[in-house]
Parts: sequence; C-alpha cells; structure tokens
Amino acid sequence: MAMREKVKPEAGKVVDMSWDPITRIVGNLGIYTKIDFDNQEVVSCKSTSSMFRGYSVFMKGKDPRDAHFITSRICGICGDNHAVCSCYAQQMAYGVKPPPLGEWIVNLGEAAEYIFDHIIFQDNLVFVDFCEQMVKDTNPTVWAKAEKADAPHAAIHGYRTVGDIMRSYNPFTGETYREALHMSRIGREMICLMEGRHVHPSTVYPGGVGTQPTPTLFTDYLSRLLRCFDFIKKAVAMNDDVFDFFYEAMPGYEEVGRRRILLGCWGAFNNPDHVDYDYRNMNDWGNEMFVTPGVVVDGELVTTNLVDINLGIRILLGSSYYGDWVGEETFVPKDPLGNPVDQRHPWNQTTIPKPQKRDLDGGNYSWVMSPRWYDKRTGDHLALDTGGGALARLWATALAGKVDTPYVKATGHSVLINLPKTPETEEQTLEWKVPQWSNAIERDRARIYFVAYAAAMALHFLDRAFAEVRAGQTKVFEDFDVPDEAIGCGFHEAVRGVLSHHLVIRDGKIANYHPYPPTPWNGSPTDSYGTPGPYEDAVMGQPIFEEHGPDDFRGIDVMRAVRSFDPCLPCGVHMYLGKGKTIRQVHSPMFGEHG
Amino acid sequence: MADIKVGKAEVKPDTPSHVKGNKEGNAKGNYDHQKGHLPDGRSTAERSTGINPKGASPIDPSMPNLSPG
Repeated sequence: MAMREKVKPEAGKVVDMSWDPITRIVGNLGIYTKIDFDNQEVVSCKSTSSMFRGYSVFMKGKDPRDAHFITSRICGICGDNHAVCSCYAQQMAYGVKPPPLGEWIVNLGEAAEYIFDHIIFQDNLVFVDFCEQMVKDTNPTVWAKAEKADAPHAAIHGYRTVGDIMRSYNPFTGETYREALHMSRIGREMICLMEGRHVHPSTVYPGGVGTQPTPTLFTDYLSRLLRCFDFIKKAVAMNDDVFDFFYEAMPGYEEVGRRRILLGCWGAFNNPDHVDYDYRNMNDWGNEMFVTPGVVVDGELVTTNLVDINLGIRILLGSSYYGDWVGEETFVPKDPLGNPVDQRHPWNQTTIPKPQKRDLDGGNYSWVMSPRWYDKRTGDHLALDTGGGALARLWATALAGKVDTPYVKATGHSVLINLPKTPETEEQTLEWKVPQWSNAIERDRARIYFVAYAAAMALHFLDRAFAEVRAGQTKVFEDFDVPDEAIGCGFHEAVRGVLSHHLVIRDGKIANYHPYPPTPWNGSPTDSYGTPGPYEDAVMGQPIFEEHGPDDFRGIDVMRAVRSFDPCLPCGVHMYLGKGKTIRQVHSPMFGEHG
Repeated sequence: MADIKVGKAEVKPDTPSHVKGNKEGNAKGNYDHQKGHLPDGRSTAERSTGINPKGASPIDPSMPNLSPG
C-alpha cells in the first residue's frame, strides 16, 4: 500500500493542483494533489469533504419505521438503495420476512436502479473524459491514433474506428451520449413501476412492498427491460474497444488509479427461498444472494460470510473532524451469536462532531471518517474500496462461484452473462474475467458489464415473479410489531458500492443508527494508523500521461482515477492552479461558507 | 454530543410519530383481518371491491384470482 510522503512544493517542479469541489454531492469532495511535472507523477494526494451530514445524530429518538424514508434522503441518486438497506436492517430488528413476491419486486426495482445509474454515470459522465473533445485537447497524439485504429467489435456496435466511438461520446451532441440519456429514463421508469417513485421510493416498507402485483406491472417492466438489451450489448462492445485501445495507445496506462487489490462487496439481491433476516443465519442466506458478498485481498477471496464482514467493520478517526467515542456508551457488546462487537463498530459508534479549520499538513481535513475492515488473519485495518461498486461485486461473485441462474453464472474465475436475442441484436454470452489490476480502466469496464449482469438477473427475477402471480400468490406484505428492544443490520450494495445500515432500538425508538455508504469507504482520509484512503492511495504515485504542461494542465488522468470510483455524480468539476504558489487559502470546514 | 455552541432546540426529535393506543397498519393480525386476503397468500376480488366480488372472480376456478389491487 502506498504511504504518504510529505513533499514540500518547489516552484516549477512540484506543483499544487487541487480540484474542489469534485462531485455533484453539494460540492463536498475535494482532491488536493502535488504533482511533479519533471517526472510526470502525482507525489501526494488528499481527499477532503467539507460537509457534515449528521444522519447518525438526528436519527436518534425517531420511530424506527421512519428510518427508510429518512435515510433515503442521504443520496439524491441512489436513495432507493438506502431505503432498501434500511428495510433489511429493520426486518432483522422486527423479525419479519417479506413474502417472496415482495422480495422479487424489491430485487426488480434494485436491478433497474443499477441499470439506470451505471448507464447515466458511465455514458454521460465518465465518457466525457474519454470523448473526442477531451482526448483531442489533452492527448492529441492519442487522438490521432484513435482515428486510425479499427474498432475490433465494429460488427456489433457499427462504429468503424475507435475515434468514431469516442466521437459518439461527445457531450450533448454524441450519439451514445444522447441514447444513454434515453436509456436511463427507461431505467427510472422501471424503478417507478416496482418501488413507486424514484429516487425516494414510496412503496418499499419493512415487511414488504405496497406495489400491487398485477400481471401488467411485470409485463410493463419486461417491455422496458427488453428495450435496454440492444443498447447494453453495443455498449459493452464499445467499452471493451475503447479501454483496450487506451492500454495499447498509452503503454503503462494500467498504472492510472491503480492500487492494491482491496475490494469489499456487501452483497445484493436477497433470495427469498433462503433469506429469513435472522442474524444467526446471516452467513447462510448471505451466501445465497444473487450478488455474493465478499472481501477480496490481493486477488484472494478472504470471506463471503456476512457475519465476519459485519464484525470486521471498524470506524477509525485520524484526519476527521470528530471526537473519539471510546468512553461513550457501548450499545451492542455482543452480537446475537455471542461474538464480541468492537467499540469502533457502527453499532457502538457515537458521533461527536468537532468543526475545525482544515489542516492538510498533518492535521484534520475531512468530515468523512475512515471506515476500515479488520483482517483477523493479519491484524491489519484494510482500507477497502468498492471499485466503483461494479468491480468489487463482479470480483467477489466471480471468485465465490455461487451464483447460478439461467441468465448469470459465476465460474470461480469469471462471470458468464447470457443476454437474449432482441430486435436489433443476436443472443450474446458475455464473460467478465477477473482482471489483472484494480485500476481506473478496470473499474470503468466492470461498470458496463454489471449493467448487463443486472439486466440479465432482472429476467430471472421476472420469471420468478411471474411464477408467483400465475399461482395466484398476491401477498407482498407481512405484518409485524415493533419490539421495545432490538438490533438490526442491513447489508446491500448501493450502485457505487458497499452499503450497510446498523440500527439499535430501545424503548421502541431509535437509540443508535449508522448508515455507511460507499463514499466514506472510498473517499476516506488517512486514518489513525497512517493508512491513506482509497482515492488518495490510488492517485498517489500514479503517472501523468497528459500532454499539457503545468500552465494549461487539466488533470485528466487524476480525474479519470477519482471518477472511476464513481464518487456519486461528478458533474461539476472546478479547478484552480496554484502554480507552486498559494493564491488564496480557503478553509471551508462547514458547508455554506462559500455561499 | 459535541462541545459546540448550538441554539435552543425548537423541536423535540424524539417526539413519537406514533401515539400509543392508536391502531398501527403494520400490527400483526391486520393482514388477516382485511377482506379478500386468504391465509395461504392468495386473494379474492373482495380485496378490491365490495360490490358483488364473486361476480369478479375468474370463470375457471383453476385460474389465478388476480384482482386489480
């Protein structure tokens, strides 16, 4: 793992380069780097967040049945992932298992979310960094090669050269860009059918759903899903052509955004044939999920046991604006299996915000804490990343080799995805193979393969849902009572990676609630052990391929690395160049100071 | 809580959204009490209409009874 080195900027050699804000999430992600232009390398990187959310603070005392409606508002793009995850945690606390059809409806809604969100991110945001206009500007020699390079999958997608594909990625004018917007609209319609509304579902509840399971509901979904398949088949072929071209055109490009293989996936799509939401059986039903949970370290699958995954979670401080909670209350000393639960586990966390000045030079600099996973084999606190979600999901599922449905099969080293014949394209079998690296290109490539995975899996969920309806099984909700004292945890995959909700109920009210979405994992700052967060780690030491010098530097390689993690939607990127000197130091420990 | 200065709270965040004694939609037994829901997870047209629900049942008893919800 890369370790941080303190580098003093020298004019003309090591230059401060900063991007803040970097994402759409109310401008709260900033990347501060020092770049050595003589050696074309990033020598240091810090990831900061300037906004305090406080969900864990204001959830206390509320009715637990409101949790999914409130926590859905954490995100403006994957709110339904939060709602579903919260329902999983509540179902464990209430001891209720939804009827199978309710579970299939939730799975169908979530599959549509993966399709919609990955497409809009990949084709409308990531590919702006790979489009004609951008590459022509940042790497003119690469663009010249792209115009001459034949696209190997031209027969599938219809673009003769790689340059033609990149031209179709141009924002607002490119063909793929515009078609992707249309596809993401269809995806949202599919979510609305199953979950009532997008982004904040209105018919997803603990105990099931309020969606009326009529045959029309499922045929409406199916007709939309089939319209996506033509696009998906072409998109996968185009992605492969462009990414393979980047490896060829710029030898060494695999180093961009590369870090040690440390991936976490908390599993998605519960299987109603097995899930009972009982913590004591969590290992069994977790392994039956249609995306297998797992932790992958250096290419090896360490565990697929959700109990191990749960107990290994540690929330560290080190560079965050919070007070320590070691002396605070221990809400859950032991889990329902009798295993001790660490004080740094989300069940026992107490959030103590301490706003302060940002100090990027050895002090605290972020509102994000540092979630880590304790590897009991080595005693390390691993800074797992999610690989933008898709990479970790495919990697863990492939290695585990447990998923076996008529449309998707994990082989132990790859994932096979069968896509049916659709009006414009023939039947296709895609194979996502475990890649050699965890880097920017492979994170991006996995994303489009996971769209195909989710779409194929949705066909299986539809088959099962239709079987229920044909048998006249219309029950989609199971009633329950709220206990006075209970604990629960939900494990799910937000589109961009691991998602957990930990809940403690006392007196019928929420005593403690901690959601951990993927961005705190990926965008975490350096922890108390000195381990940098994944963005920092991936960017530090990476080579720079951009042909511009410091004066008109756009930082495209750094952007590709950070954006490959899907840091929510990076639609507004601003940059200022320090040119080795500090023009103006702005401290923004709290949202709102910039106005 | 943090040692930061905050204003006087204007709300009580733990004001219960549920008042004890009121019927809860999620309470155990509610599903069974509602008309048209059969114990095995199937349903009849009675869950959708109170007006001659039997007339809205499928013609063939072997067909699933799928009322409009």
